[in-house]
Amino acid sequence: MHKLNLFRSALILVSLFITALLMFAVVSLFLVPDVKDVWHNIFSREMIFSLKLSVLTGLMSTFLVMVFSIPIGYALSRFTFTGKGFVKTIIDLPVAFPELVLGLCLLLLFGNTWLGKAFDSLGLNFVFTKKGVVIAQFFTALPYASRIMKSTFDYIDPRMEFVSRSLGYSMPETFINVSLPLARNGVLASAVISFARCIGTFGTVLILAGGTYMKTEILPITLYLNISYGNMGMALTSGIVLAVVSFIAIYIFEKAELVL
Amino acid sequence: MSFFSVENLNINLGEFKLQQVSFDLDRMDYLTVIGPTGAGKTILLESIIGFWQPDEGRIYIEEQDITNEPPEKRRIGIVYQDYALLPHFTVYENIAYGLKKKQKQGIKEKVHEIAISLNIDHLLHRMPLTLSGGEQQRVALARALIVEPRMLLMDEPLSALDPKTRRETRGLLRHAIERFGTTVIHITHDMEDVWSLANKVAIFKDGCMLQFGALEDVFNRPKSEFIAEFVDATILKGMVRENRDGISIIDVNGFKLTSLDDATPGEKVRVAIRPEDIIVAREVPRDISAHNVLEATLEMIVREGKTSSLKLRVRDSLITVLVANSTLHRLDLKPGDRIYAVIKGANVRIV
Repeated sequence: MHKLNLFRSALILVSLFITALLMFAVVSLFLVPDVKDVWHNIFSREMIFSLKLSVLTGLMSTFLVMVFSIPIGYALSRFTFTGKGFVKTIIDLPVAFPELVLGLCLLLLFGNTWLGKAFDSLGLNFVFTKKGVVIAQFFTALPYASRIMKSTFDYIDPRMEFVSRSLGYSMPETFINVSLPLARNGVLASAVISFARCIGTFGTVLILAGGTYMKTEILPITLYLNISYGNMGMALTSGIVLAVVSFIAIYIFEKAELVL
Repeated sequence: MSFFSVENLNINLGEFKLQQVSFDLDRMDYLTVIGPTGAGKTILLESIIGFWQPDEGRIYIEEQDITNEPPEKRRIGIVYQDYALLPHFTVYENIAYGLKKKQKQGIKEKVHEIAISLNIDHLLHRMPLTLSGGEQQRVALARALIVEPRMLLMDEPLSALDPKTRRETRGLLRHAIERFGTTVIHITHDMEDVWSLANKVAIFKDGCMLQFGALEDVFNRPKSEFIAEFVDATILKGMVRENRDGISIIDVNGFKLTSLDDATPGEKVRVAIRPEDIIVAREVPRDISAHNVLEATLEMIVREGKTSSLKLRVRDSLITVLVANSTLHRLDLKPGDRIYAVIKGANVRIV
């Protein structure tokens, strides 16, 4: 009994220690900068541009991510097909892939290849452009969203869909009437996590879209550029904005998870 | 051609499979499917409704081959053990769901009508998760029946209910099925469902249909010891010694049984006796019409609700008898007692 308690206490202590360390790290982000300086920086031209571009590209990427992750998650959850394991691995790959390498791969793909030229002819040039920011965010966030959507659909009893079909509804109708409404919390959780992931994407955006001042400058790029210039005030302000967005995202995600 | 036919159905889903399953049903037949867990019963239902494509075999309903039809075109309803009600719809919306696809007018009236018949009209505004198991099951039944399916499939629909609710729901189910004139396939583990609802029975094991037929045939004449055990009958092996005007005298491990079934002397046979077809007596009964009076030792008493199952040893054979609990008290029966088992010749069936 004594040994058991010691073991329990040790594990709890490790958990508390790491939590405290993380908490102090995050709190220091809010305590170190001067409030006036942060307030001033938030309304600077560069920060407003960066915030606007981050939110805009984040929303567009999240929309695209959801458009693709819902069908991918459903297909992986419900259907057995040749190459399913391969699809799963490739879609999951960016989770473990370094962002910089993913960015490099996307740069090569959308650069001077037939696909890049095809997109270019349609007016979609992704290299060193704002559109590139969206694409970089999309590929970075897609695996997370697909995983959440697959788990969400796994959790929905397929027999509800069976019943709907036995009552005369086709597979797409059943998806719209039954599967999607039942997955709404998962969709919300997935969208929130995707948005947070998109807003925070750095490496992929830097390589594909470039980190150009006031052109492809999103919040992580602002942080990076200002650290490079030695402008700690702006760097910390962009860090705080990113952290606040993440906190809100995690809070909504937790809420959605609770009712899932 | 029958109203519904399954011909040589083969399906292999890895863990579960069906092999060479064939049977026919007439309109308004009520088939109960019984068998151990993993026998392939649910796969059978989900193949009939179209969720699994068979590797081989055909399924016909009203002379139409529906083997390759999608589920939504088959007009076959399904009710599951856990109800599968749509949690984001109210009870009204659940019941009306299938009807909305079929018609645009008169939905409200039809929903109210079926809700009244299943005694759930006071629940229409509620969400499914706020209902009791019995209420949810009646909603699931209403939802399946309101579209007037050509056939209704039920996968252990009453097994999650407490005994009292199960009895009530069974009664409502019987009325509803009779009212709609629906042909039913019902998977169950509960023999009460079989006795009170079915006119046909199929027994499954390891993906194979071991026996299919009218209720009385399957229960009175089980084709194998496994089936006999499953339907609580006793199977005894013996040899026909005599045949007097179509009445067979069978030697079973040193004692004689008379059966009204015809058999040839010298023929090795198996006889089936149902536990409820045996009467027990303290003294040797005299001047009775029954052909068989066997002296036996009471080995074991197993209480099962209002009845008890007695294991009687007659020479080297064990025979199961079903008696009311009150009989135990009246005859003061205890394990080890010498008693007599009385069986009519008509109830000793050569199988």
